[in-house]
Amino acid sequence: MQNTLATNPLRQGISTREAPGPCALVIFGATGDLTHRKLVPALYNLAHEGQLPQSFAIVGFARRPKTHDQFRAELRDSVAQFSRFQPINAPVWDAFAQTIFYHQSEFADAQGYKALDGLLRKLDAERGTDGNRLFYLATAPTEFISIIEHLGASGLVESGAASRQRIIVEKPFGRSLATAGELNRALANVFDELHTFRIDHYLGKETVQNILALRFANEIFEPLWNQKYIDHVQITVAESLGVEGRGGYYDQSGAIRDMVQNHMMQLLCLMAMEPPTALEAEVIHDEKVKVLRAIRPITPDEVQEFTVRGQYARGSMAGKPVPGYREEKSVAPDSRTETFVALKLFIDNWRWAGVPFYLRHGKRLPKGVAEIAIQFKAPPAVLFAAGSPEPLEPNALVLRIQPDEGIAIRMNAKVPGNVINLQPVKMDFRYGGSFGARSPEAYERLLHDAIIGDSTLFTRRDEVERSWQLIDAIIAGWDASPAPFPYEAGTWGPVEADEFIQRDGREWRRP
Amino acid sequence: MAPSAQLETFTNGVETAVDVAQIEGQLHELWQLAADSEKDPMQRQITRACLFNFIVLAESDTATAHASDVISTLTSHYPCRAIVLSAGPGNASSELSASIAAHCHLAGTGQKQVCCEQIVIRASGESITHLGSAVLPLLESDLPTIMWWQGNFLTRMDLFRRLAAVADRVIYDTSVWPDPHSQLAGLLRALTEHPRCSFTDLSWTRLGLWRKLAAEFFDEPRCRAELLQIRNIDIVHGCGPGAGLRGLLCGSWFAAQLGWPLPTANARIHLSERDDGDATSVGIISIAIKTGDATFSIRKDHGERTASATVDMPCACGLPRKRAFWPDDDVSLLSQELDRPARDPVYEKALAIAVALLESDRSPIN
Repeated sequence: MQNTLATNPLRQGISTREAPGPCALVIFGATGDLTHRKLVPALYNLAHEGQLPQSFAIVGFARRPKTHDQFRAELRDSVAQFSRFQPINAPVWDAFAQTIFYHQSEFADAQGYKALDGLLRKLDAERGTDGNRLFYLATAPTEFISIIEHLGASGLVESGAASRQRIIVEKPFGRSLATAGELNRALANVFDELHTFRIDHYLGKETVQNILALRFANEIFEPLWNQKYIDHVQITVAESLGVEGRGGYYDQSGAIRDMVQNHMMQLLCLMAMEPPTALEAEVIHDEKVKVLRAIRPITPDEVQEFTVRGQYARGSMAGKPVPGYREEKSVAPDSRTETFVALKLFIDNWRWAGVPFYLRHGKRLPKGVAEIAIQFKAPPAVLFAAGSPEPLEPNALVLRIQPDEGIAIRMNAKVPGNVINLQPVKMDFRYGGSFGARSPEAYERLLHDAIIGDSTLFTRRDEVERSWQLIDAIIAGWDASPAPFPYEAGTWGPVEADEFIQRDGREWRRP
Repeated sequence: MAPSAQLETFTNGVETAVDVAQIEGQLHELWQLAADSEKDPMQRQITRACLFNFIVLAESDTATAHASDVISTLTSHYPCRAIVLSAGPGNASSELSASIAAHCHLAGTGQKQVCCEQIVIRASGESITHLGSAVLPLLESDLPTIMWWQGNFLTRMDLFRRLAAVADRVIYDTSVWPDPHSQLAGLLRALTEHPRCSFTDLSWTRLGLWRKLAAEFFDEPRCRAELLQIRNIDIVHGCGPGAGLRGLLCGSWFAAQLGWPLPTANARIHLSERDDGDATSVGIISIAIKTGDATFSIRKDHGERTASATVDMPCACGLPRKRAFWPDDDVSLLSQELDRPARDPVYEKALAIAVALLESDRSPIN
């Protein structure tokens, strides 16, 4: 054996990933919903799976006064409710709880950061966290820049690429190119881009990651993945929920900022990008940026032609009446905020020239579903046209992201009998049926990746800014347009959205 | 029986006797009934799913019933065509008998049921030799074949060879073998004889958390350097079935991964047995890895299903860690293995070292 060991020989054949190095995770907004429902349950799940660093500490930073023990007790209730491991494992929780601390401070109080520095240094000594910090911004977005500036001013962050401090920024990442740019500049003043993790929880979903596996680990699809064989693509993210108490935030945001600029653009990029030369963060970011740059911008003058926006009115969901958007709490009664958006985008590159990408998202649609549907061109009708009055259904490949994650292919088959009669049939692969429902939560994967410093599943500065550039132009066009079209809650959006796609001789799928 | 009642019986997991030669035909008819029933909105929606062939060898009625229970649970996450070969002592009949049933589970959030087939073929006495030929036509094409042999396959090598010839993977549990130490050399020979088949010992699977905790000590470069300074590794195991063998496999794993030649392994690995009065201590109780300056310890917590890992070292790296053991029932162990790639060269290396240690003069278990 050599005198030094570059790798750990005992790791060979052990299925879990190497435990990350020492780290203290500071969560700003530690008493909020995100911390309780997602972040801490995900961290507990990682602890359960042995995926947290050996030397680890969580510091909750928030305004409300409470003790470490009170904070731990509250988090225990949340973990008991939201962890995927039920019931809670008492010994694992007890060991995990020892890593949790609470720090009370206003976000804009410089003294609070000084005290935080003291606490983190104490943990470095007692817990071996060794100066490695991961700051998580889980507060309201209005606090982001102030927190970043205080982190910089308090000396909590070392400068340069060798810094041992990283930051995770929750969505929304700005509300326009200007505000995203401002946030990016504030981040760049304190953190290196390598250490900046802009979260998009969609990228942590198993089925979203599977888009790359489906495309590049299967030889049968990639040769067909271009304008020669694909007629169009539909990306749908439908929500059955309304604004659910977030009316104040949502009314300032709207569907396009809340869902399209981030999640749907990321789905589009993964679906349309060229094969990366390696499964490495920078390489994948580069390919996604190429897609974003190739998207033909919709100018303000073109929004009538390439977009439809809607706003839900009173209706019913699952047999129960629900209020209209303007009747929701904290929503202006004359609000022009869209709760539904449909876009037609073109990617002007060799692979996708002339193929429309239809993006559709809305609230209070009949069901919650997210999918990418690739509609292939119709086969030549010369052989079977005589036997069937209807044109042949084109093939479709559907990647279902939620719920019932899976992949379905629609093809034509002969109906048994003495005559040639064709009918579309579906081959359906469901993750739940094949692998069980044991995928880690998106936040588990993303938190673990951030702790080890892998930014593959996060978004880079240029991705975010290019995406905002595209969206800003659409919003500018809408500002000068009539109000969104109303649609009844519980339907698939305004009739204008149907007419929008029918003008192209196509139909929306009914997921 | 009316077709709908026949389908209901089948999908409720009730075994239906069939002629061995008619198994495929009968299954085809039942799935056809299921497809027809989909057109009736009042009927349950049923999908058949199959990711692999799962041959299970059971050598008693109790083992056959246990296999059926395991398959029923396992198929909720690992859909397969299960073929249970029930080779009982019984009379010397030369006839095989068979039955079919389905295990159905609701898929995801929908109302659709995903069903898997279970075929049981019973043989006794001389007819056991015909089991191999009965299985071959029942294997789904283009899918891997995994064989779980509940007992000791070394005692039925003829049948084992026939089945291993079509299997991609063999799973067994040396913990339930009588006197497993004396069988290890035979096991290693069987591995060598079947190079295209991968072998999985559930005794090895039970070492998973111990290996993981031991490996985690040395992820950090400062601690990793200590691997070169190990003076001895003390492994204490309980008195339960297979506990001694697990201790030996664990010690052999250290030796194999650290590249120790046999004399070094003999000198540095110490195994000892202890009855600590804890009913849950059926396997390993503790591991202590000692270097010049440090001790890395893993200890099963008394009366708990957890283990704690601690480091005693100047400028210690790491907090005490506590980790839960996975349940070690057959469903959990098989699930863990089915999640992993089949071939495990680390196990194969450890087994070879274990055999060499047993055959050496100064075996750590002597």
